[in-house]
Amino acid sequence: MRLPGFSARTIALGYGIVSLLVLAMFAGPLWYAWHTNIQEVRTELITADAQRLANLFARGGPFALTTAIESQVVGTNDGVRKIILFMAPNGVKLAGNLPGWPTGLPDRDGTGSATIHVAGEPRRIELVRLTLGGGYRLLIASNLNRFDELERLFVWGLLACAATVLMGAALGGVLIRRALLARVQGISQTTAAIIEGKLSRRLQEPRDGDELQLLTRTVNRMLDQIEHLVTGVQDVSNAIAHDLRTPLSELRARLEELSVTRPAEEETFAEIDAAISDVDRVMNIFNALLRLAEIDSGSRRNGFVQVDLAKLAAEVAEFYAPVAELKDIALAFTPRGASTAVGDPVLLAQALGNLVENALKYAPEGGDIAISVQRPRRDMLEIVVADNGPGIMADERPRVVERFYRGDTSRGTPGVGLGLSVVSAVARLHGGALLLADNRPGLRATLQVAVSPAGGSRV
Amino acid sequence: MKLLLVEDNERVARFVKKGLTEAGHTVDHADNGRDGMYHAVSETYDAIVMDRMLPGGIDGLAIVEALRQGGNHVPILILSALDGVDDRIHGLKSGGDDYLVKPFAFGELLARLDALLRRSQHQAVETTLALDDLHMDMLAHKVTRAGKPVALQPREFKLLEYLMRHANQVVTRTMLLENVWDYHFDPQTNVIDVHVSKLRQKIDAGFGKPLLRTVRNAGYMLTDQP
Repeated sequence: MRLPGFSARTIALGYGIVSLLVLAMFAGPLWYAWHTNIQEVRTELITADAQRLANLFARGGPFALTTAIESQVVGTNDGVRKIILFMAPNGVKLAGNLPGWPTGLPDRDGTGSATIHVAGEPRRIELVRLTLGGGYRLLIASNLNRFDELERLFVWGLLACAATVLMGAALGGVLIRRALLARVQGISQTTAAIIEGKLSRRLQEPRDGDELQLLTRTVNRMLDQIEHLVTGVQDVSNAIAHDLRTPLSELRARLEELSVTRPAEEETFAEIDAAISDVDRVMNIFNALLRLAEIDSGSRRNGFVQVDLAKLAAEVAEFYAPVAELKDIALAFTPRGASTAVGDPVLLAQALGNLVENALKYAPEGGDIAISVQRPRRDMLEIVVADNGPGIMADERPRVVERFYRGDTSRGTPGVGLGLSVVSAVARLHGGALLLADNRPGLRATLQVAVSPAGGSRV
Repeated sequence: MKLLLVEDNERVARFVKKGLTEAGHTVDHADNGRDGMYHAVSETYDAIVMDRMLPGGIDGLAIVEALRQGGNHVPILILSALDGVDDRIHGLKSGGDDYLVKPFAFGELLARLDALLRRSQHQAVETTLALDDLHMDMLAHKVTRAGKPVALQPREFKLLEYLMRHANQVVTRTMLLENVWDYHFDPQTNVIDVHVSKLRQKIDAGFGKPLLRTVRNAGYMLTDQP
């Protein structure tokens, strides 16, 4: 589901419209009730009044009616509140508080409303007009103008309300916009700082969970990942610089010494041989890096065939057996169950070779190395190489697979820092991972291989 | 032997040509693909050393493919600065006979070239190999030295077979790793040396004349020469 756009203007507009609607829902019926009820009551009143006067006329004639009306209108201002007018058939006013028959009246008997002019002032009235016997006419009206004030108040009130609502909406819009801008500005500023290289900066997470919190969290996770990658690149660069600088400076020193001291031929050749092995060290580092990049690019999948991992592991074990023998290390291989997977035999052999060489390097004289192939899950095979050497501290384990990482620099033989990285890259290529665990004592390295690597990540 | 070297880098070309000449070969040199192609089709060579990256963005493999399509089966050793197993496979698929990654030790180049030249000389598949009083019967899977049987593991048999097929030739550790074990990585340990010395124990120890020799800075040689 797509949430509607989230912007200050939309919110303000929506708020304004909703408020006006609510106002209309409240004021409309009120206005309607006022008009209908009040008018009805008033019409009823004047109709009853007219009826009473008509009855009086019927009983007492024009004179009685004139007297009654006169007593009624004494003290009333002309044309205010109630208007009564009693006219003789010849158009002479007999009684009432209007000077004469007003213009603008309907020319039929009945009730209605009209606007008449009294002393030049327009007045809206609710009226009853009766023609009595003998051509006498009676007009009873209620002046609506005295409600004008009230109605005006109501309308003004309504308008003031609407204005307040709209002001509120506008102000709310502005405030929300400012809050949003402040948030976005925070994001912008942090991002700008990150662009400038302050990679550890993170977005401020809002205290209350809202839509922005989700975004902030996602962005922060992305930043974690970016920082991790950049740090990785920096580590690699530093390590390359460090690892290559050592043999290169030695090489340079050697050559310089040769050109300065010009030693005897015998010594010169010994130095040249040493120089060549310095160059070989540099080349090995480069080759390992290039190999890693090649594996990581995932382009090696075209070398995938059916591989029997048990057979492959047995061969690797056999390959290193004489070396183990020399160190008096027992190197045992145990296959467990079916072990066919789809993979690259060249790379798998290299990865397993790296693990075994690693174990051979750290297992003590007279120690043990156990290689096994097992299938813990239907879709996953594991090649395990376990030694009883010093092992790797738990907090170091995730880092040893990083390029060039060394548990301690005294282990510093060139290329060591890349061995486990290559294994890890090969495992990833095969849809698995390299897991390092404590063998109590020693290291237990597990190279996972997906039986069919279709789901393998192409890192 | 008459060799063709197709290599655009002047220093590398000079170094290789000098080394090969000293090893007793006659070397023609072309420093671009067009000349290389022209030489290869107009003359007969015992082997060609072909660089992959040639001027004008030409891939040496294209030349190799063209030669093979033209029915030319001269042994070709490809030199490349690309060190990927894929590149190696690609190079061999294009018709190259062997593949060497730059920078290389000259000893490695010479050893591989000798192996190529030897391979093209006797195509016949022998069932017995002999060097001095060391005999190998491939069908019966038996090895004897001075008439006495030598018990070998299957892999040791394969190692010895490779050495005997390249008798009196330097064989590098990488060549052994690739051809005997089919591995394509550099072991950080001296595992090849250990295998060779175990084999030496079995075929040389207790016999008069040592046959399996270590060639310093290069590799090994099985030889009956003094």
